[in-house]
Amino acid sequence: MTSRTETAGRATHVTGDPAPATTAPSCAEVGCDDFARVAMSRRSLLRSAAVVGGLTAGATTLTTVGDAFLQTSYAATRSVPAVLVVLSMRGAVDGMSMVVPHGDPVYYQARPKIGIPAETLLAKDGFFGLHPNLAPLLPLWTSGRMAAVHAAGLPVANRSHFAAVELVEDADPGSRERIGWINRLIGRDSYASPLQAMQLGNSVPATAVIGPQPTLSVRGLNQVKLAGADQWDKQGRRPRSMRTMWGDVGGPLGQGARAAMQAVSQFGAVTATSTTPANGAVYPTGGFGDALAAAARTIRGDVGAEVITIDQGNWDHHVNLGTLEWGSMQQMTTQFAAGLAAFFTDLGPLASKVTVVTLSEFGRRTRENANYGLDHGYGTVMMLLGAGVRGGYYGRWPGLVNNDNNDLQVTTDYRSVLAEVVTARLGASSAQVFPGFTPTPVGVVSGL
Amino acid sequence: MTDAGRVSYTPRPYRRTAVPSSPTLHGIQRFTAGYTPALNAQVRAAGGFARWFDRQLADGYDDAWAAQTEQWWSSITASYEVTAQRDRDGVEGFWRADANYQCWSMVRRFGSQRQVRETMADFWEHHFHVPAVGDVGPFRSDYGRTIRGLALGRFDELLRTAVLHPAMQHYLGNVNSSKSAPNENLARELMELHTVGRGPYSEDEVKAVARLLTGYRMNNWVVTYDPTKHWTGAVTALGFTHPNTDPDGRAAVLALIDHLARHPLTAQRVATKLAQRFVSDTPPSGLVERLAEVYLASDTAIAPVLRALIASPEFARSAGQKVRTPAEDVVASLRALGVRLAAPAGASDAAANAILGRSTDIGLAPFAWPRPDGRPDEAAAWSSASRFLASLETHYSFSGGWWPKKGIVYRTPRSWLPASRIRFDLFVDHLSRTMLGRPSTAKLLRVACEASGCKPAEIITAQHRIVKWDMPRLITTFLDSPTHLTR
Repeated sequence: MTSRTETAGRATHVTGDPAPATTAPSCAEVGCDDFARVAMSRRSLLRSAAVVGGLTAGATTLTTVGDAFLQTSYAATRSVPAVLVVLSMRGAVDGMSMVVPHGDPVYYQARPKIGIPAETLLAKDGFFGLHPNLAPLLPLWTSGRMAAVHAAGLPVANRSHFAAVELVEDADPGSRERIGWINRLIGRDSYASPLQAMQLGNSVPATAVIGPQPTLSVRGLNQVKLAGADQWDKQGRRPRSMRTMWGDVGGPLGQGARAAMQAVSQFGAVTATSTTPANGAVYPTGGFGDALAAAARTIRGDVGAEVITIDQGNWDHHVNLGTLEWGSMQQMTTQFAAGLAAFFTDLGPLASKVTVVTLSEFGRRTRENANYGLDHGYGTVMMLLGAGVRGGYYGRWPGLVNNDNNDLQVTTDYRSVLAEVVTARLGASSAQVFPGFTPTPVGVVSGL
Repeated sequence: MTDAGRVSYTPRPYRRTAVPSSPTLHGIQRFTAGYTPALNAQVRAAGGFARWFDRQLADGYDDAWAAQTEQWWSSITASYEVTAQRDRDGVEGFWRADANYQCWSMVRRFGSQRQVRETMADFWEHHFHVPAVGDVGPFRSDYGRTIRGLALGRFDELLRTAVLHPAMQHYLGNVNSSKSAPNENLARELMELHTVGRGPYSEDEVKAVARLLTGYRMNNWVVTYDPTKHWTGAVTALGFTHPNTDPDGRAAVLALIDHLARHPLTAQRVATKLAQRFVSDTPPSGLVERLAEVYLASDTAIAPVLRALIASPEFARSAGQKVRTPAEDVVASLRALGVRLAAPAGASDAAANAILGRSTDIGLAPFAWPRPDGRPDEAAAWSSASRFLASLETHYSFSGGWWPKKGIVYRTPRSWLPASRIRFDLFVDHLSRTMLGRPSTAKLLRVACEASGCKPAEIITAQHRIVKWDMPRLITTFLDSPTHLTR
């Protein structure tokens, strides 16, 4: 269905799939409350150590008993060599406003009012150019660490936001189970910390992270604490009683409760990072900037967060997408670029392990409507930034049409791009993350 | 290792505190904003749950609470002109007027005697979702009030009213659509979300309906109709055909809406959503089929469908299977704690306003979902780690009476004691009956002992440290239970 013979873009680099990793044991096999017993025994151990006199190297952190185990048990997390940040551009972004196909004359014919003039574009080659408001990202582009894969999307057009999001994020068309691709990705090994995949900025888990592996979805980092487990709870009554209450509760709620308590016990290194961004980075105000700043702190805390997913905005531009002078697109591209530029500034040297990829459920029609907007279309652009990215424009351009079915056709299955990222950067198996799918090489990412 | 190994946790019943039967409690949990002892008394006085439900469907209880509290914010009942003027003058922006409505929706559910109407208003308002976040001008409050008025009536009327309401017309961009370049947004969601569901129609049918819906305009927050903007010509979609030759297409639109309301796939969709809300995340198909039949047989009237639902064995078997949404958690917690709310008097930190932020913290404020499909109604959406932690944070601050402090009266710690001297295990049972509507369990007793440091046989008086200092730590435990976080 989806395998194609044409080679997209500058594809030269093929990453073979390593052998599938051993499947992680299920909750039924090992018991999902194991962490509680582990935390309990570790805590007993630490308290004993404190009583004995605290002669070990860790003694200085054990002066307040109630807090001590929370502060020290994060040692149970592991360091990760590579981090994937997934930006979901909700509402179906118009890829042709982000990365403009100025070399296709139909683009300007179909968009007399909202077409972005070729002379304003950045990083322009003979065919493509970037929206001028992406200027803050030019240093990344010119240093070869930013790429755009155009005409990407689902293998079959789907114009329903809700159905398309499910398809994109479930990414397993053969299965009736609702398990997201990120959950399968972190399920490839036996490591099971809820911090391995985190959704920041929105506590309602996206489909991509839903599944048997525990994950953490939070609005802000300050939410990662257990109310009542404070300096007055000297006997640790609060965490103990909650572990009793939730240790054997089934269903998503029990899983979420246990993931929450485990996350709290492992989160100390992130909480200890400065709330001030590093290297003078200044994030745009609003949820997107806040979520990126939280992502940078999480990466700095090095608590084993391998995938961080962030929702950005509402790109459902039926009306008032606008022009370069006014409208939603110029505002949102400004915010998008300012946020990502600040993120990479904040990361500093840590950027060498962080790869950002953008996703959207579909693109928009080629022809503008009467409201300076665009209705639901098909293909869109995926952007990649950071570690391992081979900069430049990718994707076979299908050519635009200006008739009643004026979609940008898809020439690169979005999974081919994601498969390349997860195999090259995280050492995952494409077959495990995207079952039944044979990726076509894109060549946009190189390995560790 | 801990004292848990040595102490025996056997719950003791404190029978003086009445609880409903399990089926009645289940019905209450599903069709109200949460158990209270007063509600239990109301159901008993009505002669049982089924009779109480019928009386609720017939508006047999007074609406004084809604009438009183809609005056707490002037924007709730203000005209479009006044709301728009206040926005223009910088007195109160549309976002704040919408926030007032969000607050009122929670306050309504907190105190209304018409609990089933409130529950169904909430259901339909999510089915015909228009975000209340300041994006639809002055219309959102009227939209919600209008849906509440129709919530126990007929689906065809709800559909017609919701889809043609300026709030929806504006939200899905229909008021600026025109025959030269029809905007397909409302057409698609009318079929996909509001009626038949995704699948049975082609993209050509979406375009056809979009053309039929052209002609509506909006100027200075007034919806008008401009026949010169209406596309004329035959329309065919989902078994509906209309010549649509009249430049005024409004009659044709009404005919389409009536057709869609009675479409068998709409019956399926409405039945599925009702069963998901009131039975389980994955409702049995047999139940859905039966409810869809009742819907069609009753010509889209809602009450017969609800009666069939509560009488079904599938409903009876589904107790505790639904996870409370953030707003439901906040409201149910306040009800369980027996607080009294007062008019906010313009104070943003008054309880009637502050509860909105609590709901956001837990995951989502009412009607804040950013997409037209309405907030999800399944456990996976409301079970994240942060939902759990934020719920516990809210429960604890309510239990301690620490936030909000204004416009709210909390019970005193002493008032929770049912006797001057009582064993701790009996006290736990009394609290469980009062807050959760059911006797305590061995596990709940153990959790309460662990949380408080008390022993089951320990005697509690007003002078005991748990009453004098640590009641928040004890009563929050009940709100933090799986029982309270589900319904």
